[in-house]
Amino acid sequence: MKRRIDIPLVATLSVLGFFVFIPMLSAFEFSIRTPLKGGYGWDQYIWAVTEEDFMHYILRSGWLAAVTVVITLLILVPTLTWLHLSQSKIRPLIDGLSLLPLVIPVVAFAVGAQISFPEFMQNTVLELPFLYFVLALPYAYRSLDIGLSSIPLKTLTEAARSTGANWLKTITAVIIPVIRGAVMATVALTFALSLGEYTLTVLLHWDTFPTWVTYVAQENLLGAIAISMMSLIIPFLVLTGLTLLAPERSAQRRK
Amino acid sequence: MGFKFKGEGASTRGRAFLTFSPRSFLPAIPFLLIFGYFFLFPISRLIYVAFLSNENTLTFSNFVTAFQEPYRTGFINSIRIGLFSAGITAIPGAIAAYFIETRGPSKLRRTIAVMSGVLANTGGVPLAFMFTAAIGLQGQLTKALKAAGWDIYSGHFSLGTFTGLLIVYLYFQLPLMVIVFSPAIVSLRTEWIEAARNLGANQFNYWIRIGVPLLFPSFIASFLLLFASGFSAYATANALTVGNLPLTPLQIGGLLDGNVSAQQLNLGKALGVVMILISAMAVVPYLVIQRRAAKWQQR
Repeated sequence: MKRRIDIPLVATLSVLGFFVFIPMLSAFEFSIRTPLKGGYGWDQYIWAVTEEDFMHYILRSGWLAAVTVVITLLILVPTLTWLHLSQSKIRPLIDGLSLLPLVIPVVAFAVGAQISFPEFMQNTVLELPFLYFVLALPYAYRSLDIGLSSIPLKTLTEAARSTGANWLKTITAVIIPVIRGAVMATVALTFALSLGEYTLTVLLHWDTFPTWVTYVAQENLLGAIAISMMSLIIPFLVLTGLTLLAPERSAQRRK
Repeated sequence: MGFKFKGEGASTRGRAFLTFSPRSFLPAIPFLLIFGYFFLFPISRLIYVAFLSNENTLTFSNFVTAFQEPYRTGFINSIRIGLFSAGITAIPGAIAAYFIETRGPSKLRRTIAVMSGVLANTGGVPLAFMFTAAIGLQGQLTKALKAAGWDIYSGHFSLGTFTGLLIVYLYFQLPLMVIVFSPAIVSLRTEWIEAARNLGANQFNYWIRIGVPLLFPSFIASFLLLFASGFSAYATANALTVGNLPLTPLQIGGLLDGNVSAQQLNLGKALGVVMILISAMAVVPYLVIQRRAAKWQQR
C-alpha cells in the first residue's frame, strides 16, 4: 500500500472537513460543559439518557419507522416485481407517480394531509407511517427498481414457480434474498427518513423524538444540544459501520 | 400483455379495439390505493380548497392575497434563499464530488456517501444548535474571529437574518450537491480521456470539449434540486427565526397552527399551491434531465 499524498483530494477533504466539523465540534463542546461544576463532563448525556421521555420518544420514533419500513416493503416489492415481470403498460405511469412526492414541498403536503383525512385517522399516530411512506417513496422505489433490474428476475421466478413455490414463497425466499443489497439500502433509507422526519410531524401536531428535542431546548438547552449530537452521531456511526461491512455495491450490480 | 390488439377479421365491435384486461393492472391496486389516498387525495384536496372562499364558494381571492404583502416578500425571500444557497454550493460541491469520486479510495468514498446522506438530512433544531454554537453570539468561531480582530456581530448580522439563515442552509446543501452530482462523475469513463489524449487533446481540451458538455446537464439538474430543497426548507428556518424573516414555508406553518390569523381561512392552502408550482418548475426539469442523462450514465 504505497500511496503518494494526493494534494487536490487532501485539500478538498480539509476544506469540507472544516466546514462540516467546526459547527459540530462547537456544539459538542457546549454539550460537555458542566456549568455548575465548571470544566467538562458527560453530565448532559447522562441526564438525557436517564430522562424518562428519552426512551419513550426513541421507542415511539423507532416503531413508527419500523412500521414505515414494513409498509414500504410490503407494497413496493410485490408491485415492482410484478411490473418488472409483466412489462405492463402502466409501468411508466407508476414510475412517474413514484417521483411525484419530490415535487411537493413537505409543508404543502402537511396542509393537504390536515384538511383531507377523517378525524379518526388524524387521531391515530398510525397515519404517520403512511405519510412517511409517501415521503420516502421516490428513493425507496428507485433503489428497489435498480435492484430488480440487475438480476435475471424472469429466470429466477420461473425456476421458483416450476419447483413448486407459490408467489409469497418466491418473493420471500428467492427475490428478496437475491436483491438483499437493494432491500437493505431501502430499509436503511426509509428508516432514517422516518426517524428524523420533523416538518410533517410537527405541523400535524404529533410528538416524536425529533420534535421532543424542541421542547427539551426550552428547559435544558445544554441537554438538548447533547441529544442533538447523539441524534447526529449515532446514525452516522451505525450507517458507516453497515456500509463498510456490506459487500461492494459495484460487485453486486454486475450481472 | 395488457393491451390486446385484435386485427382484421374481428367480427364483434369491441375486439377491433384495444382491450384492457384486469390482469394488466390488478396487482398495482394496493400501491395505487395507498398512494392515491395518502398522497394524490390530500394534494388534490389542497388545490381544490385553495379556490374556496370562507363561504365555500369558488374564488380566486386567496391567490390574490397570496401575492400581496407580507406573502409577496415571503415568496421573494424563499426564492432568493433557494437560488443563493444552491448557487453558492453548486460549484464547490461539484468539484468536491469530482475529487472524491475520481481520486478517493473506495472506503473513503463510501464513508463520505453515508456522511453526506446524514448531513443532507440534518435540519431543524440540531442544525440550529450547531450553528449557534459556532457562529452564534457566544459561538466558538465568533470568539476566535473576534480575537483575530473581526467582530462578525459588529453590524446587523445574526443567525435569524437572511444572511445568517443562508450560511446555515449551506450546511445541508453542500452534501446534497455531492450526493446528486456524484453519479454523473462516476459515469465519466476513463476511455474517453484516453481517446481524447490519443487524438491529441490536452487536459484543457478534454474538459472544454468533452467533460463539461457531458456534465453540464447533470450540473443544472442538481442545481435545480438544490433550489427546491432550499426553497421549501422549513425545520431549520423555524428553529432559527422568530417571525422576523418572512419565508413562505414559515408563513404556511403559522397559518396552519393558527398562530397567525388571516381573514381568508384558505389562504394557507393557496400559498401551498403556489409553492408546489414554483417547486415543480425546478423539480420537473430536474427529473427530465436526470432521465435523459441516465441513458449514457448506464454502464
